[in-house]
Amino acid sequence: MVLVSAVRDYINRMLQDISGMKVLILDSHTVSVVSVGYSQSELLQKEVFLVELVDSVSKSKESMSHLKAVYFLRPTSENIQHLRRQLASPRFGEYHLFFSNILKDTQIHNLADSDEQEVVQQIQEFYADFVAIDPYHFTLNMPSNHIYMLPAVVDTSNLPHFCDRVVDGIASIFLSLKRRPIIRYQRTSDIAKRIAQETARLMYQKESGLFDFRRMEVSPLLLVIDRRDDPVVPLLNQWTYQAMVHELIGIQDNKVDLRNIGKLPKDQQEVVLSSEQDAFFKANMYENFGDIGMNIKRLVDEFQQISKSNQSIQTIEDMAKFVDKYPEYRKMHGNVSKHVTLVTEMSKIVEERKLMLVSQTEQELACNGGQVAAFEAVTNLLNNESISDIDRLRLVMLYALRYEKESPVQLMQLFNKLASRSAKYKPGLVQFVLKQAGVDKRTGDLFGNRDLLNIARNMARGLKGVENVYTQHQPLLFQTMESISKGRLRDVDYPYVGNHFQQGRPQEVVIFIVGGTTYEESRSVALQNASNSGIRFILGGSVVLNSKRFLKDLEEGQRMARSSTAVV
Amino acid sequence: MATRNRTVVYRRHRDAVKSVRAPLFSSASGSGGPVIEMASLLGSNRSSYAPLSTEDPGPSSRDAFTVGLPPSWVDDSEQVAANIQRARAKMAELVKAHAKALMPSFEDGKEDQHLIEALTQEITDILRRSEKRLQKLSASGSAEDSNIRKNVQRSLATDLQNLSVDLRRKQSTYLKRLQQQKEGPDGVDLEMNLNGNKSRLEDDEFSDVGFNEQQTVKIKKGQQEREREINQVVQSVNELAQIMKDLSVLVIDQGTIVDRIDYNIQTVAVSVDEGLKQLQKAERTQKKGGMVRCATVLVIMCFVMLVLLILKEILF
Repeated sequence: MVLVSAVRDYINRMLQDISGMKVLILDSHTVSVVSVGYSQSELLQKEVFLVELVDSVSKSKESMSHLKAVYFLRPTSENIQHLRRQLASPRFGEYHLFFSNILKDTQIHNLADSDEQEVVQQIQEFYADFVAIDPYHFTLNMPSNHIYMLPAVVDTSNLPHFCDRVVDGIASIFLSLKRRPIIRYQRTSDIAKRIAQETARLMYQKESGLFDFRRMEVSPLLLVIDRRDDPVVPLLNQWTYQAMVHELIGIQDNKVDLRNIGKLPKDQQEVVLSSEQDAFFKANMYENFGDIGMNIKRLVDEFQQISKSNQSIQTIEDMAKFVDKYPEYRKMHGNVSKHVTLVTEMSKIVEERKLMLVSQTEQELACNGGQVAAFEAVTNLLNNESISDIDRLRLVMLYALRYEKESPVQLMQLFNKLASRSAKYKPGLVQFVLKQAGVDKRTGDLFGNRDLLNIARNMARGLKGVENVYTQHQPLLFQTMESISKGRLRDVDYPYVGNHFQQGRPQEVVIFIVGGTTYEESRSVALQNASNSGIRFILGGSVVLNSKRFLKDLEEGQRMARSSTAVV
Repeated sequence: MATRNRTVVYRRHRDAVKSVRAPLFSSASGSGGPVIEMASLLGSNRSSYAPLSTEDPGPSSRDAFTVGLPPSWVDDSEQVAANIQRARAKMAELVKAHAKALMPSFEDGKEDQHLIEALTQEITDILRRSEKRLQKLSASGSAEDSNIRKNVQRSLATDLQNLSVDLRRKQSTYLKRLQQQKEGPDGVDLEMNLNGNKSRLEDDEFSDVGFNEQQTVKIKKGQQEREREINQVVQSVNELAQIMKDLSVLVIDQGTIVDRIDYNIQTVAVSVDEGLKQLQKAERTQKKGGMVRCATVLVIMCFVMLVLLILKEILF
């Protein structure tokens, strides 16, 4: 709630004091920021009758001076260039400029230089520089996410860009919450350290005036960690509704693109999955697949009941009642078809790719012990013809991450088998993953086999048995959150930046995962928040990963690493 | 939520830049005296000779950028908005009239019924006229404006639809209460009650509960009137239902993909792309038309040659 309402407040404030017909001009990033929190009909109520992208405004020549322009852009140099051109030959009557992050003085001077006609009425910084996809989950939608995998020596040009964007995003979160946090980072990750230090420098030195908010008793905590500390969670197949849709089909800014899937009516080709607007989704987004099936059946039955009563119109009163209820009925119809389409499509994919079988082995690899049994299971699945290439690769990766050190011979056998079966995926990728996120590089106890306490816990769980084999995995983030709640996050593993220290437990924690978050982790955070432990967790990342995206990042990273070594 | 206002810094810099620009021009104009007169004699565009003009370029450039008039459809949309306001005011009056009519009264209540009828009719008229004007809105205007027009249409359509739903709901509650009054025995007019009580007091021993003749006639007449009212209300309900159906095409369904800002920007981009493709195709076919032209030229040449041949035969 808190993230979405921050964005909505900002947009309301932008539009409320400007009267008359307005046009809202956004750039490709702020479009996502605004679209997840504000709807087109709400914009119309505020008299915003046109929305355009800043790079397409200059293409048209017609002057619309009866409109007032409200710009909401990121303060990048391209946007400033576009703005300068448009201010030099203005199309609209008034210009109100809002930027989603901190402007440099040179940028303000450049704009003032171009504003010969003096059409700009105000310039403000409104810090909504993140995409608030769920109440406690945000993302930055960064395009070249794979850069975080490369050490600084390899790529000297893109890395600063990446870090700057992340720092800007984190800063805007805290500015919209009006807090200044204590910062901790994962020791073993250079990029997390760099980002943490730059954020600290921004908040405590460069713009300390801007961040000087009223201090509460306990400062909030910002924890910057690296995706590579838990490479397992993006590789696993998911069985809870939101995570499953993203894994099998793909969710972008709360929209699902179904155009590749057979013949669908036009209004179902792209659908919206937002917990704010869809009550059924809000109740079911964290439920597992079996329960969803039952709930959808119940929904469809309800709907059929209503349709039947609609068909029996006898008196004028019935007619009046039908016309009254028609908008609601139409909305329900749309909603029901949307969920039925999604679940049907996912069932089809599960059937085709034999995901039940694959996922069972994946979960065993991630959660339980038994190297010999695991090796056998993976070999069997590799031999199985109906398993797709990407699933084979995932299985070998998971096995490699788990049993990296235990039996190199068998690992080699698996590599060879993978190479012989799927020409597309080279085993080099698995070795790359091990290099990036192998057991030496990780801080946390990913498989519960380092810490004695964790081993004991795993044994207890194994004896007790699990409710559902397919959802038994818990992301490493869950353990991290528990340690924070108990105030037992080790300084050795997660040092502080600067000389700040945390007294007692924080009440607000923002966890930023460099390299991307997953919906399984955001589910973990939401469930933790719902358990009323007194601490509010917010999760964010550079992108939202599924296995396809994670593998793509790995491939890109490997390619760049290889090309740089070739040069050197 | 934190914000920061940079307007002051911006204005300061803008003024500084302006004052730097102005003295540069005034110094240039002094040296170019005779050239200025030549320029003004030629009557050329003022803005392109701005550096030589003696005036301060600030106000002149502001004049060159005149505030344009809004296009004509804006008037239409403003009228629809004004109509909606009027309809709202009338609905408040209607609510009061409904309440008054439902109260048991001493008089006949005929004026109340007339008032209610008139008001309802007026409101339905306003809504229907606004709806027709709204449909016309999409036809007028240029292509550039089309997005804005569509959005203005949508927003006004939503308002209209909400008003119609409101009106219908008020009418149905009034209708329901009317029916209750008609059916239940305690719905009988107060005046008849009074009569009944008086007669009971007089005819104490008989304690006759039934109505006498005079009262039956009155009841029948009352019932007929109420039936008429109910029919009228039903009629206006149906009219409004029709209006709502027409409007529902224009209104956005909340929570669907059509209500997403990024989807709407995409569809604009897509239609612009499509337009470009169509233009390119048209260009190509036109170029192909060059072939047709070539062919016609050749045919003409053939005819010309034929004529020359015939002439040659005739002359020699």
